[in-house]
Amino acid sequence: MSDQRIFSRYKASEIRAELHQGNLKKHRASAAKRKNALKKIVANLTMGFRSEMALLFPDVLKFWQIDDNLEVKRICHHYLVAMASTKAEHFQNALPLVLSDFNAGSEQLQILALRTLAAVPVEVYVEECRKLVLTIINKSSESEKLKKAALYAALKLIQYENTQAASLLGVLHKVLRNYKEKPTIRANALYVLHEVQETTNALQMLSLDFDTCMDMLELLPKLNEWDSARVLDSLTVSYVPQTHSDAHFFIEKTVPQLQHTNTSVILNAFKFVIYLTNYVEFLTESLVKQLSGSMVSLLNKPPELEFLVLRNIILLLLGRDKPLLKVDISYFFVEFNDPIYIKDTKLEILYLLAKEDNLLQILQEFKEYATDIDIQMSRKAIRAVGNLTVKLEQSADECVNLLLELLDFEAEYIVQEIVSVFKNVLRRYPEKHKLCLKKLVRFTDWVQEPESRGSMIWIITQYHHHLPNYLELFRSFSDNFLDEVLEVQFSILGSAVRLFTRNPTPTTEKLCVEILKSATEKVDNPDLRDRAFVYWRLLSAAQQSQNSSLGMDTVREIIDGALPPIAMNTQLDPQIVEELELNIGTIASIYLKPVNQVFRLNKPKCLTASPALNANRDSFEVVFKGSQSTSSSLTGDSSQFNNRRQSSSPVKKMDDYDIPAETVNTLKDKRKNSSPNMHLSRKPSMLARKLSLRKPFA
Amino acid sequence: MTSCIYFCDNKGKTILSRRYRDDIPPSAIEKFPSLLLEAEHESSIIPPCLTHNGIQYLFIQHNDIYILTMSSSLSVNVAQVFSFLYKLVDVLAEYVKAVEEESIRDNFVIIYELLDEMMDYGVPQITETKMLKQYITQKSFKLIKSAKKSKNVVRPPSELTKSVSWRPEGIVYKKNEAFLDVVESINMLISANGQVLRSEILGKVKVKSHLSGMPDLKLGLNDKGIFTSGDSGSKAEANPSKKANIELEDLKFHQCVRLSKFENEKIITFIPPDGDFELMNYRLSLPIKPLIWCDTKIQVHSQSRIEIHCRAKAQIKKKSTANNVEILIPVPEDADSPKFRYSHGSLKYVPEKSAILWRIKSFNGGKEYSFAAQLGLPSMTDADVPRVKRPIQVKFQIPYFTTSGIQVRYLKVHEPKLQYQSYPWVRYITESGDDYTIRTA
Repeated sequence: MSDQRIFSRYKASEIRAELHQGNLKKHRASAAKRKNALKKIVANLTMGFRSEMALLFPDVLKFWQIDDNLEVKRICHHYLVAMASTKAEHFQNALPLVLSDFNAGSEQLQILALRTLAAVPVEVYVEECRKLVLTIINKSSESEKLKKAALYAALKLIQYENTQAASLLGVLHKVLRNYKEKPTIRANALYVLHEVQETTNALQMLSLDFDTCMDMLELLPKLNEWDSARVLDSLTVSYVPQTHSDAHFFIEKTVPQLQHTNTSVILNAFKFVIYLTNYVEFLTESLVKQLSGSMVSLLNKPPELEFLVLRNIILLLLGRDKPLLKVDISYFFVEFNDPIYIKDTKLEILYLLAKEDNLLQILQEFKEYATDIDIQMSRKAIRAVGNLTVKLEQSADECVNLLLELLDFEAEYIVQEIVSVFKNVLRRYPEKHKLCLKKLVRFTDWVQEPESRGSMIWIITQYHHHLPNYLELFRSFSDNFLDEVLEVQFSILGSAVRLFTRNPTPTTEKLCVEILKSATEKVDNPDLRDRAFVYWRLLSAAQQSQNSSLGMDTVREIIDGALPPIAMNTQLDPQIVEELELNIGTIASIYLKPVNQVFRLNKPKCLTASPALNANRDSFEVVFKGSQSTSSSLTGDSSQFNNRRQSSSPVKKMDDYDIPAETVNTLKDKRKNSSPNMHLSRKPSMLARKLSLRKPFA
Repeated sequence: MTSCIYFCDNKGKTILSRRYRDDIPPSAIEKFPSLLLEAEHESSIIPPCLTHNGIQYLFIQHNDIYILTMSSSLSVNVAQVFSFLYKLVDVLAEYVKAVEEESIRDNFVIIYELLDEMMDYGVPQITETKMLKQYITQKSFKLIKSAKKSKNVVRPPSELTKSVSWRPEGIVYKKNEAFLDVVESINMLISANGQVLRSEILGKVKVKSHLSGMPDLKLGLNDKGIFTSGDSGSKAEANPSKKANIELEDLKFHQCVRLSKFENEKIITFIPPDGDFELMNYRLSLPIKPLIWCDTKIQVHSQSRIEIHCRAKAQIKKKSTANNVEILIPVPEDADSPKFRYSHGSLKYVPEKSAILWRIKSFNGGKEYSFAAQLGLPSMTDADVPRVKRPIQVKFQIPYFTTSGIQVRYLKVHEPKLQYQSYPWVRYITESGDDYTIRTA
């Protein structure tokens, strides 16, 4: 058969003719021809010509009866499922055919028929399907495959409408607890229950007791890889440990699964262990090592999986004051052959891992990347160095030196980026200007992009008393005020006014008035115009009425007040972290956004209260086996409080966990992500936790 | 979990699709090509997940096709999706050899069957090829009514036979053999001055099993520190001076290995699937000396010529030999008229990669070879082109040798019913991994 003929658009009548032509002569060749015609239908459905193919419904039904070929049956069933959304009246006629297939005795046909029944949302089908599902699941002699198909059919039925769900749910629970049932069936029953709870508004939360959880973990060796992954996934949150020792016990039980080859099993096991760590009072050093090791070894998987793992590593590094992972930075050195998205993520991790003691190594790497072929990569590396400067106070000099060294490359995009970055550096360390001011100013003519221009203007204004030729430099920007983009116009306007208030001389006054004039008379943008008017009124009010309350000093205070200091915030909101950690391995973990923020219908996951739940997620400590010390836990707590204090003080935060190497300046929309959105509908335990943390500073 | 699977061509147009759930409109796929284009605009390589309109597009690339799944929920388990897609490609390859646009179109009926068996309602099911072959045959066949059923009756209940989901019963071989391949790939990142920035050994043990019945295998490895592990924590305690480079020894096993048994007794026991599979892999981050070291001096006389001096040394045992050594040295893109002087191997200029390729068929341990090359550079250059830094890439294979020193002591085959004689075979090889690179100054 040539694919060309099958994969092209046909009219319904053409196919019909072909089907009937085959019917006339009853021998083998015509059967093959018929099959070919049916394949054309499927191909056309794939290509999206659904309405045309819908006309063939009666013909398909006719051939359903004639042919006893499994392939033909498959195509017919496929056709039926594809037509499900049309809800044509033909479905009534098709029902007996589907049922007769079910009763034909072959296991494969039974499964096929069952799936078709479940996939068609027509009432009679649903009713029929419910009956079959109940009988199949209750009968112990049915084959494993059929039972599994029935379980998934049950899931579909429950998701259609949950008025009748109770009976099905009851059966599922019974299967779950039936010790004589086959392992695969029980595992899948658990998964189906878990899914029901996730996706529908089932009244009752799925909660498993110690014995069931134990039992399910015992089953793991007998299950295939996908089933194992699902069991581990379903156990998370469903089982709530009541004591510390229970949690320890299950961590121990689950850890061997980290040695599976299937990534999905590992990540789900990982998730379960991380979940359980919320219920223990300490962790052993060897466990941390095992967890880290299993994550690192996943980095050798295909790029898509590697990407996922890297994102999850970020999550785990961000989430806690004392990360559960101890990994060597060298694993995250960028390889030449890595796809860009992996390079990017690795850069981010390196940035997060940077501390005083490994800084030299990391800076060396960043230097490599900054001169990389890829321009984006190089820019991001520079951004990261800039942010590191702000983050690590003690090593700021090294970082600044690296930035200055990179300036010597004199590549255009590197200069842009470095100039942009220096604005933040200088805001954080105003005294560092001695190191870099001279050198930076040399590049005044290079800066092209709005951001770097804005940054350069700010630097010139801020340090004008150190620059003898500041007016000349400033002129190079202000002379084509009208040609600049809005963002730069704003900074020129602000800077001109600031220059005047700081140093009121005839030249600065002339400059200032010039800019104010252009801004009020020649610019169309109302925001810019209004701001210029405000400045103008302020200045003239201050000059006219010497004796009034609005003196020059007050104006200076208003226009050129002290800027709030900036700091880096690499912490996520604990509540979001909690939710994300329960979503390890999901899309949410890639975007590092809570599930319900992006997709409202998903239920947010949260830890269920139990006597064993740790009130503070960093309260447990990592110990070597046998030796326990309490000092570390105390320091952990106090740092937590410090963090809190910072977030409520006017210190300006740069929430850079998202993309540290990009756009540090846009603070507003970033902030939304991490700002604790207070819902009162929170669980009492969570609320208590929040209050207990806030109280000392209220 | 996932709502559907689409096979798309390299433009993102659908070749074949299978929908498992109805929560995604059929029109969603039409957005995919433009999403791809958009992402490509932003950066040259597209990330494997895209979002549009609340729908998550997750895909992998294979040959000239995209294999795509969509989901409307953020809590979809991506780990599962990606591992499944890779598995799917593997399985399809068994049926259609090369998985590409044409073979998919040619075999779409079988692929539909496979997709039906491998996933139910968007949840992965059986993915073991040998098991799938029971249900699906390449040719279509006439249905023999209730044949399966009668077989079911004859067969004793599965609990008794201890059947496992990855191995069908009743396999018979005339000669019972098991082949073990221990393959170690070395990944290394070396700075221009010879400092090893990162090194790791990725090992795997591949098995080809031609064994009858339901054999129970036991694998013994030399416990040279590596496999007595589990007490790695205590080892680190013993010599805290080594904390900078802790050896992370993690093993990953195929689903057939009894993990709890390994955890408790450190014995690797398993009932193998039939045919080829990867039994285990491991990773070691020992600090190792570069096996093939090459010291390269590149002198650029801008606007006239570039001179390259390179010395390569095989830092392995005298008895060992590295085969098929390939050293790829980058040169500027606009270089021309190469002149070479060399003693061993073959040297050639590969303009399409902008590099010089030095091939040495066999490189004995301890030997040192060198070459000198000179290439012309155009006298007129575009001054703005940023200097490109690409690393030197090295490829090699060293047979009969493992860097970590791992050795197979024994492979015991025990088939309780058939009690046959069996022959295990073992081979060792060390090769360069995907990333064995030396940075240029």
